[in-house]
Amino acid sequence: MMRREEEGVAPINFMWHLVWDFKWDLFKGLLTAVNVSIAALILSMVIGMIFALARMSRFKVFSIFATVYVNIFRGIPALVSVIWVYFGWSLLFGHNFTVYQAGVIALTLLYSSFFCEIFRSALQAIHKGQREAGMALGLTRGRIFRSIMLPQATKIAIPNIGSMYIGMIKDTSTFAIIGMVEVVRVTQNLNSTYFQPFVLYTAAAGLYVVIAFLVDFIFRNVELNFSYPPQGRIAKFLSRKKKKRVEGLMKST
Amino acid sequence: MPTSSNNEVLMELSGVRKTFGTIEVLHGIDLQISKGSHAVIFGPSGSGKSTVLRCMNLLEEPQEGSIKFLGTEYGPGNGKDDVKRGKPIELRRKVGMVFQQFNLFPHLSAIDNLALPYRSIRGGSVQEAQERAAHELNKVGLLKFATNYPSQLSGGQQQRVAIARALSLDPELMLFDEPTSALDPELVGEVLAVMRQLAESGMTMVVVTHEMNFAREIGDLNVFMEAGNIVATGGSDFFENCTNQRAQEFIGSVL
Repeated sequence: MMRREEEGVAPINFMWHLVWDFKWDLFKGLLTAVNVSIAALILSMVIGMIFALARMSRFKVFSIFATVYVNIFRGIPALVSVIWVYFGWSLLFGHNFTVYQAGVIALTLLYSSFFCEIFRSALQAIHKGQREAGMALGLTRGRIFRSIMLPQATKIAIPNIGSMYIGMIKDTSTFAIIGMVEVVRVTQNLNSTYFQPFVLYTAAAGLYVVIAFLVDFIFRNVELNFSYPPQGRIAKFLSRKKKKRVEGLMKST
Repeated sequence: MPTSSNNEVLMELSGVRKTFGTIEVLHGIDLQISKGSHAVIFGPSGSGKSTVLRCMNLLEEPQEGSIKFLGTEYGPGNGKDDVKRGKPIELRRKVGMVFQQFNLFPHLSAIDNLALPYRSIRGGSVQEAQERAAHELNKVGLLKFATNYPSQLSGGQQQRVAIARALSLDPELMLFDEPTSALDPELVGEVLAVMRQLAESGMTMVVVTHEMNFAREIGDLNVFMEAGNIVATGGSDFFENCTNQRAQEFIGSVL
């Protein structure tokens, strides 16, 4: 800083207090990002699972449709997707999505294709003996899927779902371009008033990193609860009653 | 046609052909399993013995041939008759199967491995299903491990849970596909003991195995297979009085 003054250039004045002053605006931006990404996460998982089943279907029509869908939307950047949904859709069909709707739809289009692949690989990772055991016992196809394949596939997919979700939160930053007041938009607005890009964008980066750590922590806990035997506190609490009943049975038999 | 005894026939395979791609692995198998009999299928690797077993509950759908079980015809038949064919799921609900790799459900405790299929097929309350499951686990001596998960059980214990799981659905016929081949030598005995007990109780069993001593002990229909054909069959005196040279060689090299 001394050097710049000697050269006759105005000293950089890092106004770190801005972060504190506008903490609620930044926090609200973060909430918007989390809100949009969670809605999109739920939708993408449901749609992704349907596409995973379609892709593995015996019926060629379904599997080709799902494969084409995955390869199209895996390749489109979030920025392009959201502009197309927000502006393109209203041009073509005269119907305007709200900024929130456009964000959720854009993310869901992209990430349902990723989740399709995550679920497909998780289902295919299950040993084929599991399905055979279910068939040999005389279980229906639906029961085998719901009670044998799905729980095991979910456990395999959890770490990947976590890292996908971090990607989704980061992609909400591109929604600043359609005017969604999320973290980057708040940062841009503050910056245009105070011209403190270093301070403000460092704060924005910090917020995304905090969320990434939080998501990692949450998903590691979810994974623990889905492991067998269950190790997480929630799963242990939920299975306590069941275990008691079985222990009662063990004594009475 | 080889028969085990003069009792009522429970399952009859006739002309069962199975191809994988362009390779025919079963060249028309005929076999009758009588009620209460204990059939043992043995032979070298790749002879098709597991495939025969898997055709018996239609885990493998044959290209040709019929599986008659309790008066109902299953499988494709010969393409000429117009006999009404049963659905595979109806056959499987009356036929239990035990696999080489146990195939317990790893996300369920031992008791739920039994209770989930039971309740799914029979309906009723969780309590009823678990009572039945506890009863079956007790019979294989594993009630105290009811809340353990498969990963917390030894191979032998897992296989005994798998046997109990199949038995909990009251099968008419039990199929065993090399049930001891994936086990440590020390653990083979406990599984064979459960199977011996089951044989003594009068259960109809078809066992694919390399345990020739066990085969000699329980087998009242011995089937020797090679290259997709049944080469020789015989009753409980098969190991002493077999006349087929290839079967004699095989028995000689294994025993």
